[in-house]
Amino acid sequence: MFSEQERLAFIALIVICSILAWPGFSRMVKIIRSGGPAERSDGLVGRFTKMTIDVMLQKPIFRSRPIASILHAFIFFGFSFYILVNISDLLEAFVDDWTTIDKGPIFGSFNLLADLFSVLVLVGMIGMLFRRFIIKPKVFEFNENVLLHPKVKAGGIRKDSLLVGVFIILHVGSRWVGTALRMAESGQTDAWLPTASLLVPLFNDWSGESIELGIHVTWWLAMGLIVAFIPYFPRSKHIHLMIAPVNLALNRRTNIGELDSVSDPTAPGAKSLLELPWPQLVDPYACIMCTRCHEVCPAHESGTPLSPSALEINKRYLVNNNSGTLVLGEDIELLGNTISGDAVWSCTTCYSCVSICPVGNEPMYDIIEMRRNMVFDSNMPDDLAEVLRSIDEQGNSFGQSNRKRSKWSKELDIEIKDASKEPVDILWFVGDYASFNQSCTDTTRKVAEVLTAAEVDFGIIKKGERNAGNDVRRVGEEGLFESLAEQNIALLETCEFNRIVTTDPHTYNALKNEYPRLGGNYEVVHYSTLLVELLDSGSIELKNSHSGNATFHDPCYLGRYNGIFDAPRSVIERCGLKLVEMPRNRENSFCCGAGGGQIWMKDHDDMKQRPSEMRIEEALSVDVSKFLVACPKDMTMYSDAVKTGGNEDKIAVVDIIDLVHQAMSLDQTEEAEIVED
Amino acid sequence: MKIAVLLKWVPDLVEELEVDDDGTGLDTEDLKFKLNEFDDHALEEALLLAGDDDEVIALAMGGEGSEKMLFTALAKGATRAIRLTGSSTEGTTGLATAFSQVLEAESCDLILTGVQSVDDRDGQLGPFMASKMGLPCISVVSEVSLSGQTASVMKEYAGGMMAEFEVDLPAVLGIQAARETPRYAPVSKIRQMQQTSTLEEFSITDTGTGSGSTVSGFSQPEGGSGAKMISDIEELAELLNGLGVV
Repeated sequence: MFSEQERLAFIALIVICSILAWPGFSRMVKIIRSGGPAERSDGLVGRFTKMTIDVMLQKPIFRSRPIASILHAFIFFGFSFYILVNISDLLEAFVDDWTTIDKGPIFGSFNLLADLFSVLVLVGMIGMLFRRFIIKPKVFEFNENVLLHPKVKAGGIRKDSLLVGVFIILHVGSRWVGTALRMAESGQTDAWLPTASLLVPLFNDWSGESIELGIHVTWWLAMGLIVAFIPYFPRSKHIHLMIAPVNLALNRRTNIGELDSVSDPTAPGAKSLLELPWPQLVDPYACIMCTRCHEVCPAHESGTPLSPSALEINKRYLVNNNSGTLVLGEDIELLGNTISGDAVWSCTTCYSCVSICPVGNEPMYDIIEMRRNMVFDSNMPDDLAEVLRSIDEQGNSFGQSNRKRSKWSKELDIEIKDASKEPVDILWFVGDYASFNQSCTDTTRKVAEVLTAAEVDFGIIKKGERNAGNDVRRVGEEGLFESLAEQNIALLETCEFNRIVTTDPHTYNALKNEYPRLGGNYEVVHYSTLLVELLDSGSIELKNSHSGNATFHDPCYLGRYNGIFDAPRSVIERCGLKLVEMPRNRENSFCCGAGGGQIWMKDHDDMKQRPSEMRIEEALSVDVSKFLVACPKDMTMYSDAVKTGGNEDKIAVVDIIDLVHQAMSLDQTEEAEIVED
Repeated sequence: MKIAVLLKWVPDLVEELEVDDDGTGLDTEDLKFKLNEFDDHALEEALLLAGDDDEVIALAMGGEGSEKMLFTALAKGATRAIRLTGSSTEGTTGLATAFSQVLEAESCDLILTGVQSVDDRDGQLGPFMASKMGLPCISVVSEVSLSGQTASVMKEYAGGMMAEFEVDLPAVLGIQAARETPRYAPVSKIRQMQQTSTLEEFSITDTGTGSGSTVSGFSQPEGGSGAKMISDIEELAELLNGLGVV
């Protein structure tokens, strides 16, 4: 049905558009290849198989925003099927008399699917556009203090969204209308094309010539448009449909609790764009600019200038607008172009942005690379420098004499073994906050009392334990982290023990995930896990039961990082409390705001409300009077948040050990309290 | 321009201090030491003053802590680091003698030292050095700017009074505070310096027998006998009555 001229014109269009598209695609590959080293080539078959399954099930995208995800699924499945549809349409133009209409049940089924998917894509795309341009959800907005590329500020994302949306609607819509026109041409509808058939009566009055013209126009709008769109692809966020699957396939396979080693110790981290490891240069191309990452970011929600989303988007606009010079090696400084310095220091390393990202981006790791570089240049907030100096000199973040580390134990009636002097079954690595912070030491003593009552053979290192270094590493001070780890490992080598227990998830993460690389291989348990063990074995006998409702806050470094969700919940329920989950729980838990060194730095001036205060409000929204924690830093953060938020009479912050301690009747006065409850 | 900074290793007051068995000094057995914080300010000011062609030389007495102090100074940006060896010194005068020996050989334009240290509360090191070398000296300095062979500095007096001085170089300045918080030296950079750079050594000759004064006794301050909280005016009146004050 197509004339020779039309066929030639289409081939010419393909050639022209390919030539126009070539620089965009080749520069993209060059830019990614010029990134820093990273190992992602292991088990490629497995990687791509898993990715294909995940993508086909739309798993990464259904992690949040269910309605938008359904709309996306409509478009995704429709577009995937449209690969076949486009092939058929090409055949229609280039093979005489090619048609799928009235060709029996196989082509009929194909037509049915094409017909239904066309409608689903249109519904999905119109829904998405309606959402972005009419509903305008707040989540698409950036805090005013967030650094944005000038073109983003000028509405670049909306423009791109509109272009992509209109392209999809025209591409699919034209094909759909074209099918109706073909039916109108033959004068009959087709049961295999139920929705397109509904359109046929619209063309009843059209002359044969008009219909013929309509068929050609719709074909060109469907097929010509896709070709014409190719040069725009590498500049548009729509390229995510090619890059996101690759990004997901080549995602990080290493233990997420362990940061990558520094590739060049004489110039650690990344100062400029191309110094980022190459997978982090795939990220901007994979980014669909959905802002899901800053929706879950405690720093963004609390009003600081950090938006992980803006970071990736700025990277994308930089590679788009400077690709010509970037491929010549003219690198772009990250600080001030992708993110502001104070935003780098606002990250809590809670991992939410990475775990929520539907396309496998890792903005948090960019921040860590930048921190490594900035720390190496002594460029950091004064309060952080002060704490790092204390940790280096005293071994703890409190600037106190490290000899006072076990002072908390002096108030106990029991004598705790010194694990550096005698063998113990379980070595308790107490950590900074549990040892030094006054709002934690009561809890620490209760842990000692419970373990003693449960006849656990345990001990602490009374002299010489140093900060485990988890957050030191996450603020980018690699050298200090290694020095701390080496000293702790050397000390632990002199001790005889079977396992290590700690109450601090940050310490837990460092000992379990970061120390093996430096030669420290231990079996590490979090106290919540140990408590479950002791309850199971009957070593802990609960004499009383609590009653009432409580909620539990999953610490980032226990939950998201190490997958321990059930142990603390089990302890809580066995103590008799009814657990009521907050809206954001388990993998989606909302960070208290302390991690990644934030607890050592003062709040950003722009902070409207602390993440910990928001979290307490979230707990109050589910109507509980107990806010349970399993992390000394949480105890510190939330005890403060309850006070500063004026909620002291509404909710109490309680460590899970308090529940066990009381239920074991280790303190007579507590028993009376439970009865009152 | 050559700027020298003197670094001292002093007891860390975070630790509990104990008097030694002789009762004439600190028990240094378990004592932890650190860089004198005022010296850290002096080093920071030197690094801020130095231009691209200027030299910042860090100096420290050999012995415990000298490596850490000097490599840290190099990691922060000092051009050279010199460790003084060969003879032990006694007291601040001995230290001043030792430092002046190396500084005579180096002929620096500016010598910065911390205004004081926990074992030199009077801040004598700077003045002693200046007098040994015949140089002008200004202490309790918080702002320094250089112009040719003169420096203009702000010196603080009691009560927060500030005075501006102009001084011919070379001169000795006792730094109270650098204009910026002393920078943090990342441990990996210090380790890198330990591997890639070397400390120069300068052998000092006899530094004499000190200032001529000796410590005859050293003791912990006596603690107070506690306080009594008074809740109301009547209780206070009764108490004062009882003491016969009213």
